[in-house]
Amino acid sequence: MSAFSPRRLVASAIRNVLVPAAATGLLAFSGTASAENAAQRAVEAAKPLCAGGKTISIVWEAGLQSLDPLNYSGPLWEKLTGCKVKVVEVPTAEMFTKIMQEYRAGTGAYDALNVVPSWMPDLVQAGALEQLDSYVDKYGYRDELKNIAPTYRDNQMTVNGKIYGFPDDGDVFIMYYRKDIFANPKLKREFKAKYKYDLAPPKTWQQFDEIGSFLTEKLKSKGIYGASLFRDPPYALFMFEERFRNEGGRFFDGNTMKATVNSEIGVKALEGMRHENRFMPPGVEKFGFVENLAVFLKGQSAMTISWPPYGRFAAGYLANEKALDWVPKSQIAGKVGYALPPGGHPELALGFALSVASSSKQKELAYLLIQWLNSEEISNKRVQLPYALRDPFRNSHYTNPGYLKLWPDAKNYLATLKEASETGLLDLSLIQTDKYEEALRQGVSRLWAGDDPKAILDDVAKQWDSITQRVGVDRQKAIYNAWAAKSGAYPKR
Amino acid sequence: MAATAGRSGDRGFRYSLVAPSIVILLLIGVFPLVYLLVVSFQGITMMETDTSFHGLLNYRLLFSDARLWQSLLHTIVFTVVALPIELGLGLAMAQLFIDRLPGRQVFVALLVLPVVVSPIVAGATWSLMFDNRFGPVNEIIGWIAGKEMPLLWTVKPDLVYVAILVAEIWQWTPFMFLLLLAALSRVDRSQLEAAQIDGAGYWRTFFRIVLPAIWPVMAVAILIRGLDLFRLFDIVWALTKGGPGTMTETISIFTYVKGFQQFETSYTAAVALLIIVLLSVLVLTALRRVSLSR
Repeated sequence: MSAFSPRRLVASAIRNVLVPAAATGLLAFSGTASAENAAQRAVEAAKPLCAGGKTISIVWEAGLQSLDPLNYSGPLWEKLTGCKVKVVEVPTAEMFTKIMQEYRAGTGAYDALNVVPSWMPDLVQAGALEQLDSYVDKYGYRDELKNIAPTYRDNQMTVNGKIYGFPDDGDVFIMYYRKDIFANPKLKREFKAKYKYDLAPPKTWQQFDEIGSFLTEKLKSKGIYGASLFRDPPYALFMFEERFRNEGGRFFDGNTMKATVNSEIGVKALEGMRHENRFMPPGVEKFGFVENLAVFLKGQSAMTISWPPYGRFAAGYLANEKALDWVPKSQIAGKVGYALPPGGHPELALGFALSVASSSKQKELAYLLIQWLNSEEISNKRVQLPYALRDPFRNSHYTNPGYLKLWPDAKNYLATLKEASETGLLDLSLIQTDKYEEALRQGVSRLWAGDDPKAILDDVAKQWDSITQRVGVDRQKAIYNAWAAKSGAYPKR
Repeated sequence: MAATAGRSGDRGFRYSLVAPSIVILLLIGVFPLVYLLVVSFQGITMMETDTSFHGLLNYRLLFSDARLWQSLLHTIVFTVVALPIELGLGLAMAQLFIDRLPGRQVFVALLVLPVVVSPIVAGATWSLMFDNRFGPVNEIIGWIAGKEMPLLWTVKPDLVYVAILVAEIWQWTPFMFLLLLAALSRVDRSQLEAAQIDGAGYWRTFFRIVLPAIWPVMAVAILIRGLDLFRLFDIVWALTKGGPGTMTETISIFTYVKGFQQFETSYTAAVALLIIVLLSVLVLTALRRVSLSR
């Protein structure tokens, strides 16, 4: 613990990430490297196509995410190939709309795209994404694709067996907890006396409720709550999807395609979510990514569940990075443990895949850019960029020696992420997924408004049935059953 | 005869001069409407660019869509509540500022500031003002109440309408104020003085002299603001996005969601036509009522 120091972390990161990155870049630029891996093949193939100066536009999530192509990968690609990269920043909530609008307009304004994997069936069906198989073979990328972590590779890359995107972001929820609080002898003793089991990261939602309320009772006077979670509907939607399935719920009856989200399990999940708010910070109903992060980093909650960047921010990993000025300084560096959320099957919430727009006028170049970005060599650098939000998604990322040294607990962090990816649950993905999600988002917002969980879920089920009817029951059933057959759709029992 | 021929030739020449602009205006004004009408009978969605004739399907769906009618009801509620308050406050403020006061121009300029702010910015600003943890609104209520008041203005059903209305009224009352101040300043002073000499009270003077004098301007202000409120979008979007659930969803938000998030293009065209018809009826009735149509 005493060995922990932000200054050392900075030095370590520079040594392990930036120096090798620069060296690799220079090596490739000098032209001495033979095209022995997918990244180099992409560069070599792109050079003649880039002659005369071309610009490739790529849609990227606005904010921190896009600092990767703006500060690192974009300039490096230009240096290596001569092609400029124009980053079109779009907020997540508008990405699908913008991509579809551009596709319908057919202007060819976007060449490469970041797409959320659960949107892929919709985008493919609309014709907005270019099929990538022939490019993958042409530029010898299949072998490296095999090394993407199985959950992402098998579930977030293809539609009807064809490749439409390269999984590029290992988004998954994991639990972050305060090791110092959970190791406190007095709290451990009192908890054991009260609940007859050891104080440890909860394995079930029942335990989460008991541990959270116990810790709030004991620590609230010190300004610490037992837990804080995402409650803002766009985020809480994923919390519900995860919890519902961990408890045994299924979204639809696979035979009739009738929505079953309003089952007792669904109602219990919603009731539990609302009940737990009592031991969380006031106003938790509005907690999204940033609000929850701020509370956790300030040491005001003992447990939370979120995407991987929380772990890096909490560790104080490159806390002096200018782009991260907005992140509250971590008061809990060195005190954070990692675990799977209750139920053991975390949501693989959102994530990004790199695709090529079918309306692009330079598809080949766009493809080469995404192959290079997604390649073993370059992605290993990108997932370690301190300011970007790309999370480990390749087998090699979890064991990258540089990453493992970034902070004292990085090994546990990466091991937990790997385990989470292996047991993780996919976001629901159907034709017109967003409509189903919207109904659920509204349902969650009604939950915080005080509506009856059963009535909420009955309405959600009614809306889902109506959407299914409009899409076509048989058509949607085929899509749903294909999705449900995937390894990450429902927990194996 | 020659004079008649000359006159008709003259008329033809005059028509030929204005014809291009009329054609352009028709293209700009009528073509979108016709196109909207055509699309509303088709089945274009995000997935299908199905331009075949679907008959009245979208209109049938429209009449059975509870969410649409609820959003219309919410819009009417916002309009019916906000409009009289904005009018009343605007008029009261105009009455206050009609007399020459020291620093009047500065105050008027400051009061009008909210109108020049973009509505989405106003919404975002009020979203921060109503923030349950850091917002000054809860802070002030907390001082008054003597305890912490973490009110969830944009989450709880009993507060969310208040929050939206406060933001809306804050932004647009100055608009009413400005128009009514201009109207009040045009009221014939001699009539007011005569009424005062004759012993007429404040309210009698107001209803018999002031109101008739400012009514044409007031009617236009009501009409403009009524139409604006009917199209209410930005502030609600910034504050609640139509939530909780669809509790504050206005007809404009509904249309946006259907058209640009769910890509129900043909259905949205039918909704848009419904709104156009409703607003046209409303405007024509209002114009007839206030005798401004001439």
